[in-house]
Amino acid sequence: MKTEHIWRYTLLGTLLSVLAMFIMGQVARIQLDRERVQLFIERGKDYLYMPRTIYPARGLIYDRWGHLLAGNSTVYEVAAELPYVKNPHTIALTLNVVLGLDYKKVLEELDPERKDGIVHPVLTDFVPAEKINQIERYREEIEKNYGDSRNKDAPSLDGLVYTQHLQRTYPENDLASNILGFVGRDQDGRIKGYFGVEAKYNDLLAGEPKTVMIPTDPNRVAEMPEIPDGASLVLTIDRQIQDAMEEVVDQTMESSGAESVTIVVEDPKTGDILAMATTPRLNLNQYWRYGEIFKGETPFNRAISQAYEPGSVFKVLTMAAGLDSKAVTPDTTFVDTGVFEIGGTYIYNWNSGAWGPQDMQGCMQHSLNVCLAWIATQIGAKQFYEYMDAFGIGRQTGIEMAGEASGRLKIPGDEDWYDADLGTNAFGQGVSATPLQMAAAISAIANDGKMMAPRIVRSIIKDGHQYDTGERLVGMPISAETARTLTEMLARSLELEASDALVEGYRVAGKTGTAEIPTPYGYTSHVTNASFVGWGPVPDNRFLVYIWLEKPTTSIWGSEVAAPVFAEVVERLVVLMNIPPDDVRNALLSQ
Amino acid sequence: MNGVRQLTQAYSQAPWRKQLQILGLFLLVLVLAAVIAGIYLNVTARAATYGREILMMQSDIEELNLINADLKTRLAMVTSATEMEKRALEMGFEHLDRYEVAYLVVPGYIPRQGAVIAPPPKPTVIVAASLPADYTESLFDWLRVRLVPALRRLMEVKP
Repeated sequence: MKTEHIWRYTLLGTLLSVLAMFIMGQVARIQLDRERVQLFIERGKDYLYMPRTIYPARGLIYDRWGHLLAGNSTVYEVAAELPYVKNPHTIALTLNVVLGLDYKKVLEELDPERKDGIVHPVLTDFVPAEKINQIERYREEIEKNYGDSRNKDAPSLDGLVYTQHLQRTYPENDLASNILGFVGRDQDGRIKGYFGVEAKYNDLLAGEPKTVMIPTDPNRVAEMPEIPDGASLVLTIDRQIQDAMEEVVDQTMESSGAESVTIVVEDPKTGDILAMATTPRLNLNQYWRYGEIFKGETPFNRAISQAYEPGSVFKVLTMAAGLDSKAVTPDTTFVDTGVFEIGGTYIYNWNSGAWGPQDMQGCMQHSLNVCLAWIATQIGAKQFYEYMDAFGIGRQTGIEMAGEASGRLKIPGDEDWYDADLGTNAFGQGVSATPLQMAAAISAIANDGKMMAPRIVRSIIKDGHQYDTGERLVGMPISAETARTLTEMLARSLELEASDALVEGYRVAGKTGTAEIPTPYGYTSHVTNASFVGWGPVPDNRFLVYIWLEKPTTSIWGSEVAAPVFAEVVERLVVLMNIPPDDVRNALLSQ
Repeated sequence: MNGVRQLTQAYSQAPWRKQLQILGLFLLVLVLAAVIAGIYLNVTARAATYGREILMMQSDIEELNLINADLKTRLAMVTSATEMEKRALEMGFEHLDRYEVAYLVVPGYIPRQGAVIAPPPKPTVIVAASLPADYTESLFDWLRVRLVPALRRLMEVKP
């Protein structure tokens, strides 16, 4: 190496060293700047992972025997990838023919120069698989005929894409619709349960959506987190009994000319609701027709959401309180003069007649308002309302459905309570309750004084395990002896009356009710609420049935329109519940 | 003996032999590096392939879940109360009247029990991640797992 060249190499070496030091310094500067490091890491992550929100499948709803009442089915969201759309007219025309979409609107959505900058416009959603298959057949046909064409205007469905997702589906259509409720979207487009158990258990059924980061680099593949489906529910209702009750409700609507009919069937021993049928009903797969079917303030489920003055069926509770408090005994005689004055108000019987001396069974058998008002005074206001409170009147039952009404029971001390209310409340006027509240209260009499909380959800299935909700004893408003005595009185009443509620071969207890309807101008007498409550087979009660006909037109009397419905219900129930006639049952038990 | 030493010394000090040694060493390092790079590439490529397969399987699982949900609902539709009644009537069955029912004692008969869709709760058992380590470990992890115990065993062997 020549010495005169050494300085050149020295200079080059120095420059390269300075450059290397500069690079190393820069690296150190960046590496030591924590904020910048964090920023770069975050930016890097944007490219390493792709966020994806996973929505768990909504939990299923079964009847007590495991029949699916609410499930999920696959539907498709139809959208367009604008950069790949070759012929918007073909897409618009196809969607118009197959899905009935507006041709012009679809064409507007497919405008490649749209101002909002959207490149993936959603054209429609909730399209069933059959329709998608139909579109795909069109696509194949077009590909076959024009796939090789170089003509720019050749038909093409390129750019039309589908994304599948689940949609709530109700295999039984309108069966138990008033119990189930439905799933729709709220104003923000979020999926939400409306009414019934769908609303009450919305959070549980929906599960928790989770956003996970999916690695774009296959080397970084990670295990997908397990997103559990929403919890499933097993209801207490029996699909067959529910179906039969809905049939009876529809028949009764037609035969009685009532505005609405409601039937609640409960197992008094457990509080399980076996059926809850009412009108109107909605095909839950067409939930958007809700407004068309439930006009004005029509409640979605009258059995839990519409409180009404129940009338004489309430006398069962008054008599239970009277017997339990020892204010009266079954043999107590009351001389009915046809009128009873309380708090300045005169109370008359349903036929305005005087029935003379009557024992307590006679009072119930002839449904004497005067007698029951007298019994309430014998009990005393304080104790009478304590009993009513124990029966849960004026309080929600806590049934696991959205929209339960609490009814109204005025008590002494309330601004609008008067002495006369004690007399009218005794026979079910001036007090309001829902059919379910009445059924739950009276179930105590059918269950040896034990009042079970009515329940509609039998078990909850979550994380692969089934949790039973369990029966719940609300209290014991009356003694077992009182319950049995009253049941016997009411069974004999029906037999002596030769009521239309009687069912050959089965001993049943029950009470009719006919209530005038309060209006802003006082009570009406030409339109009524007709009710019947009954249970059996006495004494081994397996069912309690509560029936309410709102404003029947063929007859205003519960004994004429509601009692025969009870007989019809029992005739069906004994078959569906495998309950043998009394003589057969007793013979089998004695074996 | 002296002659052998002289020959060894002369042989080892030969310039071409020294160059050959350096060249051999360089080639050895090069070959080793190539082998390691080859193994690394092979393992990485396989890991990427399996990773991609896993992603596709996850996608398949999601699709199968949708199909399952769909089939379950379709089954419920064809066995709905209305459909079953319609089919039963078509097959000649009639609605049962309570007067037509005959009851008899069946020894050992167990009445129908409520639906059991899932087992009752039991004590929680912690389950390890189901994705095998083969899909996530790097080449160096793989070598460490296999070489370190082998080396340790070698060290423990006393002459």
